[in-house]
Amino acid sequence: MPERLSGILPSVLSVLLALAVCWGLIALTLAPDTAANAYLQMLWGGIGNWPSYLEGAAATVLTRPLGESGMKAALLTLTGLSVAVAFKVGLFNIGAQGQMILGALAAALVGAHLSLPAVLHVPAALLAAALAGAAWAGLAALLKLYRGVHEVISTIMLNWVAVSLVDNWLVIGPLRGVAEGGQSITGTAEIQATAALPRLLGDVSRLNLGFLLALFLAVAVWVWLQRTRSGFETRAVGLGAEAARTAGIPVARRTGLAMALAGALAGLAGAVLVLGTERRYPGTLGAPYGFDGIAIALIGNNHPLGAAVAALFFGVLRAGGTRMQLLGVHQTFPELIQGLALLFVAGRMVWLALLRRRTAATPAPANAAPPTEAPRA
Amino acid sequence: MSLADASLDIRDGELLAVVGENGAGKTSLMNVLYGLYQPDGGQLSLGGKPARFKSPRDAIARGIGMVHQHFMLVPTLTVAENVVLGREPTRRGLFDLERAVSEVAATCARFGFQLEPRARVDTLSVGSQQKVEIVKALHRGAQVLVLDEPTAVLTPQESDELAHVMRGLVAQGRTVVLISHKLREVLGVADRIAVMRRGRVVAEVRPAETTVEKLAALMVGEGHPALGMAASGRAREPSSGMGLETNTPPPGDMLAARPASRPSVDPTANTAGELLLEARGLQALADSGRPALRGVDLTVRAGEIVGIAGVDGNGQRELAEVLTGLRPLTSGEGTLLGGPLAGLTPARARERGVGHVPEDRLLRAVVKALTVEENVALGRHTRPPFARGTWIDFPGRRERTRDLLAAYDVRPPDPTAFLRSLSGGNQQKVVVARELDARPKLLVVVQPTRGLDIGAVAQVHAKLREAREQGAGVLLVSLDLEEVLKLSDRVYVFFEGRVTGHFTRPQYDERELGRRMLGAGTDHA
Repeated sequence: MPERLSGILPSVLSVLLALAVCWGLIALTLAPDTAANAYLQMLWGGIGNWPSYLEGAAATVLTRPLGESGMKAALLTLTGLSVAVAFKVGLFNIGAQGQMILGALAAALVGAHLSLPAVLHVPAALLAAALAGAAWAGLAALLKLYRGVHEVISTIMLNWVAVSLVDNWLVIGPLRGVAEGGQSITGTAEIQATAALPRLLGDVSRLNLGFLLALFLAVAVWVWLQRTRSGFETRAVGLGAEAARTAGIPVARRTGLAMALAGALAGLAGAVLVLGTERRYPGTLGAPYGFDGIAIALIGNNHPLGAAVAALFFGVLRAGGTRMQLLGVHQTFPELIQGLALLFVAGRMVWLALLRRRTAATPAPANAAPPTEAPRA
Repeated sequence: MSLADASLDIRDGELLAVVGENGAGKTSLMNVLYGLYQPDGGQLSLGGKPARFKSPRDAIARGIGMVHQHFMLVPTLTVAENVVLGREPTRRGLFDLERAVSEVAATCARFGFQLEPRARVDTLSVGSQQKVEIVKALHRGAQVLVLDEPTAVLTPQESDELAHVMRGLVAQGRTVVLISHKLREVLGVADRIAVMRRGRVVAEVRPAETTVEKLAALMVGEGHPALGMAASGRAREPSSGMGLETNTPPPGDMLAARPASRPSVDPTANTAGELLLEARGLQALADSGRPALRGVDLTVRAGEIVGIAGVDGNGQRELAEVLTGLRPLTSGEGTLLGGPLAGLTPARARERGVGHVPEDRLLRAVVKALTVEENVALGRHTRPPFARGTWIDFPGRRERTRDLLAAYDVRPPDPTAFLRSLSGGNQQKVVVARELDARPKLLVVVQPTRGLDIGAVAQVHAKLREAREQGAGVLLVSLDLEEVLKLSDRVYVFFEGRVTGHFTRPQYDERELGRRMLGAGTDHA
């Protein structure tokens, strides 16, 4: 089986299996018809209600759902990329959520308190968010490199530090915004119009520039990893740190920079959320997109473009999930689908073994070593 | 496809040796026997009855034990814990260490192994670790014991001891299957020898009826240039399997059809070369924190091969690591290619022109999950033809890799193959090709031919000599004394982190060298 196919197939099959299992669950608990209808509603809720548009409904039946999907997909892409980049250098970044919180706060502050023309204001806010996220992840990297603290432990703990620091103190304390009438509001002050990410499909749709930014970054990260010297060094460190060290690659610097990049990407997710939709740092950040990033990265096989595709898919599903409620199906069902897909994709080796058995009629490739530690042939 | 219709009989109570080149299918055949691989066709029978092993568990249950080339021991556990791992004796549901120790001691005594059951495995020498592997298999009731390249990692003394152990097991009615490249050794110990080539058993002979030369000819096929015979230039037959092998004849100079005897080099001609390395009083610690180098003085000049002889674990490895920037000095000073030895990093060593063929290939030399071309670029990935500025130069890298794979006869010659899909010998060829292609001024090579077959060994040796003739200095660390003496112009003998002897060709006295390797002549310290 070609390497590329064996990277993609387990993910695709896992998602399909998750869809099938959830279909079965709805069919069993409600009715088979409901399952079909719910999936259809989820689809129209995600990609736009094309049937009614073709019957003459206004274009907003398309742009509004697409906006929701695109917004969610952008956030999932960025946090998914964050986790995937850390994976490439051999680190498991559980801290995308905390990095995103710091990024969101930085974007909200720069957006609200600096006065700049839009051309500069948006980049400034994005940059601040990226730096804040990078710094938060950089803490974990420094702890790892100089103190040997495992990044899983430190990033999990830094998530809680971020929640306590930002949600439980700063935004309800010193940084709490004041509305025009003088009354206190939840969260930080609203960002200035110059800092808002421009909307792409009109005011009804929340699709904004963040979506394009996320897609651009997915491609950029992929190009960096595959085509540049430093990307190659990063991958080499992730796949064989000792061999990389022997080859003269600065392992610590590559590890630190990759982790900082992971943090920057998660920080940008926070910025996209604040500058694109929330317009302020809300009382609490809400949906745990940072944790979703782990699922997105794994379903995307830790490939930057794979993560983007997974994010688009689950962005559509999760935006459409709201419409499942019309049929009495809980709106978090897409999250269940995503969770199951993650569970199934964790059995990647099982999928590959099953697929190998299917192709066993043809001679097995020489390099198809069994999962057991096999010595060289 | 590594096996193509291979047939082999193993008889009760014999010592059968299986020999063949890298990739001939020896290990694959044994992995089928051990249940690691499932055959696509053909059958396996044991004691006259058909057998089908779905996993090593089945094979172990039927009395087959395997000692892999790379040991499968838990370094932080004791000998006894490693031996009983997977079938631990318990008392009231808890692990019973005392019983484990006494059981393992009994097994050791029964088969005549001298091992301390309470010793931690990471404190043992490689030879002793191998004994632990053998005891582990015997402890599980192995009647048939398969040893994969067991002497590749052993000193000559340990190899002799292993031969003794194997004969002892056969005398006690066990069956031993020995997979090896080392024909001389095999001739001395085996009852019967099976020769494999390209996935088939091409001959079965008795040691009394054959010679090293005849065996070698059977292994590589007639007229192979590695044998020093006239290169026939005849096209290799295409392989029947995946078509991984080319049918183009190898380039003429590739295997350097040198006779296997010592090279005709004037030993005095090299002493005038430029001084590349001058070290005084080098001291360094081993990973365990104990002193590994205790004051080493040595020099390497351009155009010479300097060998380091010694029993494993006497500081040779640490010396190589110091010279390549992987291990810090604790004391001493030196000049390496015009710069200080202190504060050397792997990157600086490479910049100054140090090439390195590390001992532990899979850990240090290559990244298994990268492709062959990516591994060829490793360490030189910032320079042409592998990069152009910030960007990887894909066509340049591909072209250079293709050239190297052809020049070193790496199979398959596919730059995009993942390195892990290559056999060990071919992986090593990739490493040697990469390091020599960088035109190093000083090449530090450690155990360069460990586990390689005759053809590959001859080729690596030829390439090292070629590097010397082009003016490089080569520091060769090897546990294979024969290899050190064959290639080196000068030899330092190491014992417990000190130089206990210094010999210049042609004054090689193997007896005296051996004495020094065991610590005689420590007056140097």
